[in-house]
Amino acid sequence: MSARLNLFAMIGSISLLLIILELVRRKYLRERYSLIWIMAGGIFLLLSIRLEILRRISDFLGFSVPSNALFFFGILFLVLIVLGLSVITSRLAEKNKVLTQEVALLKKQVADLEKSHNEPNPHR
Amino acid sequence: MMRILVITPVFNEEETLRGVILGIRTSLPQADILVVNDGSTDSTGNIAREEGVLILEHPYNMGIGATMQTGFLYALRNGYDIAIQVDGDGQHHPESLPSLIKPLLEGHCNLVIGSRYLSDGGFKSTFLRKLGIKFFSSVVWIFTGKRATDPTSGFRAMDRKGLKLFSEEYPSDYPEVEAVISANRKGLHFQEIPTMMRDRQGGTSSIGMLSALYYMVKVTLSISIGLFRRTK
Repeated sequence: MSARLNLFAMIGSISLLLIILELVRRKYLRERYSLIWIMAGGIFLLLSIRLEILRRISDFLGFSVPSNALFFFGILFLVLIVLGLSVITSRLAEKNKVLTQEVALLKKQVADLEKSHNEPNPHR
Repeated sequence: MMRILVITPVFNEEETLRGVILGIRTSLPQADILVVNDGSTDSTGNIAREEGVLILEHPYNMGIGATMQTGFLYALRNGYDIAIQVDGDGQHHPESLPSLIKPLLEGHCNLVIGSRYLSDGGFKSTFLRKLGIKFFSSVVWIFTGKRATDPTSGFRAMDRKGLKLFSEEYPSDYPEVEAVISANRKGLHFQEIPTMMRDRQGGTSSIGMLSALYYMVKVTLSISIGLFRRTK
């Protein structure tokens, strides 16, 4: 890999890390969900500094070209992230449903209470 | 004296709701009527208020499953003994209500389903609808060993046992068939009675071609996976 490509990879991974940290700082991204992305950014950075690591892993697992190993793990990582997001979405949908139902029930309760409160009460 | 609640889930049913409420009042005067408004954007909510029925309102549209479950929760928390589902589109004949709750009052079962196909009710079905319902009948038969001629029917009544189960878990979309099977799994008894149904009086059916396919796949998947879930 040329030194120029190496430099681009490093700049790319550092930018990714900075974007993630900025998102957390602005509270656009929860710390909980940022961890996995910080880890991903860290691994990108490590690989772009020490390309040797990628070559060794790729040789060990029997990939014919190191870039194939990179693509394979990249796609695997993305699939897992998306699956995780679907799980989170399902959980949120369930919570949202319960919340909606409770709001509907409470709204009625409040309306009923208001009505009984506004009726003339001789003891007051 | 049994306390009875008729739950009518509505989403934009301004054309038919008044007639449905009138029909229920005529056929089952001792019952309270609860309209659960699932985020209607037309005058459905106002009609319900004018009619002076009980109303629960979702702030936005959540689908039939969540809407019915809201009604079940209300019935359970307010001590009703029997809850009945009558759709707001006018396809369920309120005249069948007394016969729908009779098996519950006599303690024969926990869930009564009004079937279009038990007797010659003169309900005209399209070929595809018949095929779909046949499919679900077989699904129910395979998973429960019991016959149901119309398991997709939403015209049903349940006792407190049914209420308790369905307010804890009720599928969010296309809930009818799954509800029958999960009730059977929890040891509840269901029974069908013949009822008449009209074609919808207004509005459009929520089920098109593609959603019919989704309906079948979703329900089958959901029931099959449900088998591997431990019962509480």
